[in-house]
Amino acid sequence: MNNLVIGQFIPGKAWLYRVDPRTKILVTVVYVFLLIFANTWPAYALATLFLALTLVLTGQSLELYWRGIKPVMWLIIFTVCLQLFFTGGTPVLFHWQFLKITLPGLINALYVVLRFVLIVLMSTALTLTTPPTAIASAIESLLKPLKAIKVPVAELALMLSIALRFVPLLMLETDKVMKAQKSRGMSLSTGSLIKRSKAVLPLLIPLFIGALQRALDLANAMEVRGFESADNRTRYRVLSFSKQDLVAALGTGLFVLLFIGLLWIN
Amino acid sequence: MTNAITINNLTYGYPDQDPLFHDFDLEVQEGQWLSIVGHNGSGKSTLAKLILGLLEANSGTISIFGQQLTIETLAEARAQVGMVFQNPDNQFVGATVADDVAFGLENRQVPSEEMPKMIEAVLQQVGMADFADREPHTLSGGQKQRVALASVLALKPKVIILDEATAMLDPAGKSAVLQTLKDLKNQYQDQLTLIVITHDMAEAALADRVVVINDGQLAFDQRPQDLFVQGQALKELGLDQPFESQLSQALPKAPNQYLTKQELAAWLSTLKD
Repeated sequence: MNNLVIGQFIPGKAWLYRVDPRTKILVTVVYVFLLIFANTWPAYALATLFLALTLVLTGQSLELYWRGIKPVMWLIIFTVCLQLFFTGGTPVLFHWQFLKITLPGLINALYVVLRFVLIVLMSTALTLTTPPTAIASAIESLLKPLKAIKVPVAELALMLSIALRFVPLLMLETDKVMKAQKSRGMSLSTGSLIKRSKAVLPLLIPLFIGALQRALDLANAMEVRGFESADNRTRYRVLSFSKQDLVAALGTGLFVLLFIGLLWIN
Repeated sequence: MTNAITINNLTYGYPDQDPLFHDFDLEVQEGQWLSIVGHNGSGKSTLAKLILGLLEANSGTISIFGQQLTIETLAEARAQVGMVFQNPDNQFVGATVADDVAFGLENRQVPSEEMPKMIEAVLQQVGMADFADREPHTLSGGQKQRVALASVLALKPKVIILDEATAMLDPAGKSAVLQTLKDLKNQYQDQLTLIVITHDMAEAALADRVVVINDGQLAFDQRPQDLFVQGQALKELGLDQPFESQLSQALPKAPNQYLTKQELAAWLSTLKD
């Protein structure tokens, strides 16, 4: 589980670490949104250039990103096959029985691969350089306008940050329960599919009971330390925009303009 | 000397069970270090939850510094009494050590700019200042419990209750937590009342006063040194004597009183001649 790069935070001191998490989230959202409209090679080239610049600014090795892509490889190959074999049009490049590869299909498949890889790497760059707590407080700050329509933003943010805090703990516990059940003869890797899914049950029940017990204990601990409602609290971590954010915003603005320009010409 | 906590005629039972406490009385003086011991299921932890208003008594009163505990005074009572729970993981709210200490301060609406200094200061007190940015799963149990203690200290309580806070720790973690408690008590003296719930008699021996709870009643209320010489009576309540007492009672010539480890060692060394 520890070699999963997507969603992991790795402490560092590179430029992107000093950018406010809100800026990073917004840039990622804008980038992903624009990629949906990319349909020419120059547009993809520009998007790739922007990503390359971002990755350099994270100060992490390329090898790390390669490890980030690997787990989603099968998903990429699957989508590529769908695009490759099931897109109609002419000219036909290859034909065997019901399988048929066309030139538009080939181009589409390449676009999909690129889009996929660019989105995954961009999100990896975000989570790699932003601690989960910062992401939680950034989301809270970005969603603040929704308070006007009675969305409990503060509660949601607190739930998110507590959930994030318990992820490693629940992983450890899953591991422990799994070992305990294995030592009693359980096997998750043999038998029919039904038999295997039945074996998951004795794993889930202790996990659920444990999680509920934790939740009760945590509620007590929070209450004793004066927690009443998520709204009437001050914040230890205060987000603030700085010079880096201006640079990032200008850079992204330039990218957006060029990108829209390229789509326009087409 | 004023009473930090006064419990009068307390009756409490979990739903569908026999009452745990019946007409229970207990007074804890300000500045006292009290140990509450008892076998499993004797109601020690329930008592702590009742004092903090996490459970509501069926009848009787609990007063904290003279103020009776009710729904209205609950927040005020919790500002004066802090608690460290048994499981180190289940009371860690923040994603990092500093965030966890900050949680209580955020609840009290301490201004953001004052927090870093306060957090640094309390982490220093428990010897965890170098770990401020660490995540909980990278800490040992003893370190987590010291963070929990710092989180409580940050709120400047007059009473700290530790509910079997060392029960899940290894010996090194346990002694680090106990040493931190001793340091705090030395520093604050009568400003700090400690209530330590435990079934470890060596831990109970650190207190000024030990009460033994059995079937919801006070079975003993004594100084630890007077309690520990009563080996047979303790055994009947399902408790062990501390090792030092067992040893000195097994030695026929040893003085018939409680000796700490150091005192016993000193006495043994006089036998050489």
